[in-house]
Amino acid sequence: MKTIHFFIGFLVLVFVQFFVPIQMIWKQENVLVSGEAYKFKTRPIDPTDPFRGKYITLHYEMNSFIKNDTSYAYGDKIRVYIKKDSNGFAMPVAISKKPLDGAQDFVMAKVTGNYNKEISFDLPFNRFYMEETKAYDAEKAYRKINRDSLKENVYAEVYIKDGVSVLKNVIIDEIPIQEYVEQYNID
Amino acid sequence: MSSKFNKELQILVKDKVISPELADKIEQYYATKNLGKPNRLFTIFGIFGALLVGSGIILMLAHNWDDFSKITKTVLAFIPLVVGQFMAGFSILKEKSSTWKEASGTFLFFAVGACISLISQIYHIPGELESYLLTWIVLCLPLIYVLRSNAVALLVLILSTYYAIEIGVWNYRNTQTPWLYIVFLLAGIPHYWNLLKNRISSNTATIFNWMIPISVTIALSAFVGNAGNLGFLMYIAIFGLLYNVGKLAVFDKIRTLRNGYIIIGSLGTVISLMVFTFRWIWDDLINGFNYSSQELYVALVLLIIAFATLGYTALKRGFKKTNLFQVAFVLFWIVYFLFSTSVIMPVILINVLVFALGISAIKIGVDKFNFGILNYGLLIISTLIICRFFDAGMSFVIRGILFVLVGTGFFVTNYIMLKKQQKFKKQIKDLQV
Repeated sequence: MKTIHFFIGFLVLVFVQFFVPIQMIWKQENVLVSGEAYKFKTRPIDPTDPFRGKYITLHYEMNSFIKNDTSYAYGDKIRVYIKKDSNGFAMPVAISKKPLDGAQDFVMAKVTGNYNKEISFDLPFNRFYMEETKAYDAEKAYRKINRDSLKENVYAEVYIKDGVSVLKNVIIDEIPIQEYVEQYNID
Repeated sequence: MSSKFNKELQILVKDKVISPELADKIEQYYATKNLGKPNRLFTIFGIFGALLVGSGIILMLAHNWDDFSKITKTVLAFIPLVVGQFMAGFSILKEKSSTWKEASGTFLFFAVGACISLISQIYHIPGELESYLLTWIVLCLPLIYVLRSNAVALLVLILSTYYAIEIGVWNYRNTQTPWLYIVFLLAGIPHYWNLLKNRISSNTATIFNWMIPISVTIALSAFVGNAGNLGFLMYIAIFGLLYNVGKLAVFDKIRTLRNGYIIIGSLGTVISLMVFTFRWIWDDLINGFNYSSQELYVALVLLIIAFATLGYTALKRGFKKTNLFQVAFVLFWIVYFLFSTSVIMPVILINVLVFALGISAIKIGVDKFNFGILNYGLLIISTLIICRFFDAGMSFVIRGILFVLVGTGFFVTNYIMLKKQQKFKKQIKDLQV
């Protein structure tokens, strides 16, 4: 094989190496621009990923659905159909393994348990990356808020379109979490 | 030219074995011979430099700079990628030395990882570590071939192993099996084969000869799942396979220490069989296992591949040259399936098998005049005896006598071999005189 063959092969690889991240960006931007915004009540905790850094794990209040169906087992991928309540918070309407008719918004989730007619699940947008110094402070801030019984005011802002969900921000007391953490430190 | 070699030449001149002119000639010959080759040290430093810079970039990006806007972050994500691609493309097009290719490949490898990691940060893309590792591996695997880079091949191997255990071992309650690990491993084989064909004695080949069996041994744990009993069967099959791979004709030219397959295969076989010399493990096994599980199929496939490799070497070299370590895994499987309903029979047979392995290692050591292998055999037998002390109700006197006997055995065998070797050397010297 000649050098030029290797080079052409390399160019193809360069294209793919560009295409994959750009496609990732496009998919997210598309949802942010034309998706529907929902609020999910949440609780943040701070762990670390070895390559991608600090993030906070979001535990959602919406994590189960009453349904008497024993066929749902750990690890199953399901659609959680949602609608907004009067305050703009998301609430589950139905869950299903197969697509349901009607143009409702849904998020993909993973079943984590099925006990006593209650099917529990994990929502996919459970990671929120933060600057490494701020992630732990965010958890502390949440704990303080929780003590002050303001936890109704902690929610994730999620855009949803065709089952793809993009987590845009986490809001505490009507302020984005990064800014809230800075203010909280000043206090 | 190494200074050690030059020193040896000077000694030879001083002792009047060769003339000073000849020494000069030899020195010149080696100096010109290596002229066209790239400096090996330089390549190593190039790789390490790229490794450090690349991982440094990943760490810096993992800080998640909140003050930068989304656009700034996105542009930042692509800069290392573009730089890496430019350098790699340049070294291919200009046919640069392997130093260039290895270093730029290593850098590009990390740049790809940094780019996709930053994009996932910016958009808080969910998905576990495994899907991120998967994308990273797939995007970098072709680099092995377009750059012909050993460093990238090694990095992909390490990352694939990480991927396998991330899915199969560390991920709590995950029921997935990392089948793609096998694909990644197979995808690297042509590159490895090429390396073995051209430069089998090189240090690079040695690194792979060790890293591949280590990676396979680690990754196999991700395939075991819940069927723990079958895990042993799988491991014994894979150690048998590794040992037989190490016995292939390609590896004849290299020393045992450079052949990780032989050492890991042999040690693994002995250790896993040693576990089966105990009675309690067979008691546990009788509770039975699920014969239709995925683990059983994996174990069977491993057994078939190992058996095929064994058959291949046995046919090529003749059955007489096959040693007990090569067939130990087959014997274990036979014992396991024929006698797994009784307890005493398999325990006795496996004890005999381990003892025979020890004896055969001693024999190989004596035949090859290799003290390492000889003592390895003795070590197997003494470990077996020590293990038996735990579950056999022997009196202290008998145990003491056994220990003395084994210790004496160590002395005597080593002494006999040392004498033999000295005699052999003397004969050669006499012949030369």
